[in-house]
Amino acid sequence: MLKNAFLTLLSLAIAIVGGGGSVWYALKVQDGVGAIRIGQWTAFPDIGTPSADPYSKARVAREGVLALGRAEGLSFVAERDTGGAELKRECTYTIEGGFPTARFWTLYAADQSLGVVETGKPRLAALQSYGVVRQPDNSVVISAGHHPMPGNWLLTDGFGRMYFVLTFYDTPIASSTGLSDVSLPRIVKVGCDA
Amino acid sequence: MRSFYATMRRLLHAVLLGLLGAGIVHIAVLLLVPEFSERDAWSRLSMASDLYRMTRLDAEAGGAPVVKSVDPLFYATACRFDLGEGMVRIKAPGHVPFWSVSVYDRSGHNIYSFNDHTATGGVLDAVVLTPAQMIDVRKDLPEDLQGTIFVEAPIEEGIFVIRAFVPDDSWKPIVSRFFEQSSCELQDF
Repeated sequence: MLKNAFLTLLSLAIAIVGGGGSVWYALKVQDGVGAIRIGQWTAFPDIGTPSADPYSKARVAREGVLALGRAEGLSFVAERDTGGAELKRECTYTIEGGFPTARFWTLYAADQSLGVVETGKPRLAALQSYGVVRQPDNSVVISAGHHPMPGNWLLTDGFGRMYFVLTFYDTPIASSTGLSDVSLPRIVKVGCDA
Repeated sequence: MRSFYATMRRLLHAVLLGLLGAGIVHIAVLLLVPEFSERDAWSRLSMASDLYRMTRLDAEAGGAPVVKSVDPLFYATACRFDLGEGMVRIKAPGHVPFWSVSVYDRSGHNIYSFNDHTATGGVLDAVVLTPAQMIDVRKDLPEDLQGTIFVEAPIEEGIFVIRAFVPDDSWKPIVSRFFEQSSCELQDF
C-alpha cells in the first residue's frame, strides 16, 4: 500500500517538475524555433506575430516584449564572432562588410538581457548608418572596443558576455522572401584586454 | 530475488509514466503561459497608466523602462485602448527623421504596422477600429478623417506603440516634443 503511494507520488513528481522545468529552460535559452541564421547573426522574423510558434508566444508573454512589425524593421543578434568564440565585453572586434538595403540601420552592444551596455560616459554604445564613414565600395568597417579608434568606433565597456544587435528599419528584408540572399557583416576578433 | 525484479519493474513503470506525464505537463504549461502571464506588455502597461494614456517606454522619461528591449537610438511611447468602447484616434503633429506605429492585440502580437512613408505628408494621423465600425465610418466619412490612415483590427483590447528615431543628441528635444504633443483619444462617431 505504502509502496503504491510512493510510486504514484514519484510519477507525479517527475511529471510536474520535468514538465514545468523543461518549459522554463526552453524559454530561457536564447536560441529557439523559427530562427533565421545568416553568418553570425540570428533573427526571429515571426516573433510577436499571430503566426509565431507556441514557444515564441510564451516568451513574448513572459518577457513583455513588443516586437517590431514588418513595416518597422528586423533585428539581428550576434553572440559569437567568426571564429566561433563568444563575444566578450573586454575584447576588441572589427565588424566589416556590406549591409543589406534599408532606410537606415542601428548597431548597439548589448548585455545579457539585450539592453544597451552601460558605458558610464555621455557616448552611447550605439551607432547608426547616417553617422558612419563608408569605404569607397560602400561597405562599412566598425571597430568595437574600450579604447578610442579611428574611423567608426563603437564604444563598449565592462567585462563578461556581450551581444551585438543590428536592426534594419523600413527594409525589404523584413518580408521573409527578401531574406534568402542577404549577406551581413562579419565580426572578427582583434584582441582582448588582459 | 523475484520480488526485487518485480519492484524494479514497477519503479520503471512509474518513471516512464512520470516522463509521459512530463510531456503532457510541458505542452499544457506552454499553452497556458500566454493566458496567465502577469508580466506581459499589457499587464506592465496597465500598472503604469490608464487606458488612452500615452506611456513612454524608453528610460529617458525617468525610471526604469516599462517594456524592455527598445533600441537605444529610439524613443517609444505606448497607449492601451479598448475598441469595445469605440474607435481610437492617434495623432502626432510635427516631423521627425523616422516614425513607425505598431498595433498589438491583448497578448502582445503585432497585428499591423506602418511608418511615415505610408502617411500623407509624413504626418501621423491614424484611427484603429474594428471591421464593424469601419462599415459605419465608410457610409459617411467625416471631413476631418479624410487624410487619416484606417487600421482595421478584429480585436477589442489592444496596444499601439509609436517609435521614433533619435539619430543624435541634437534631435532629443525635437523627438521628445513630438511625443509630448502626440495624443491617443477615444473618437466619437
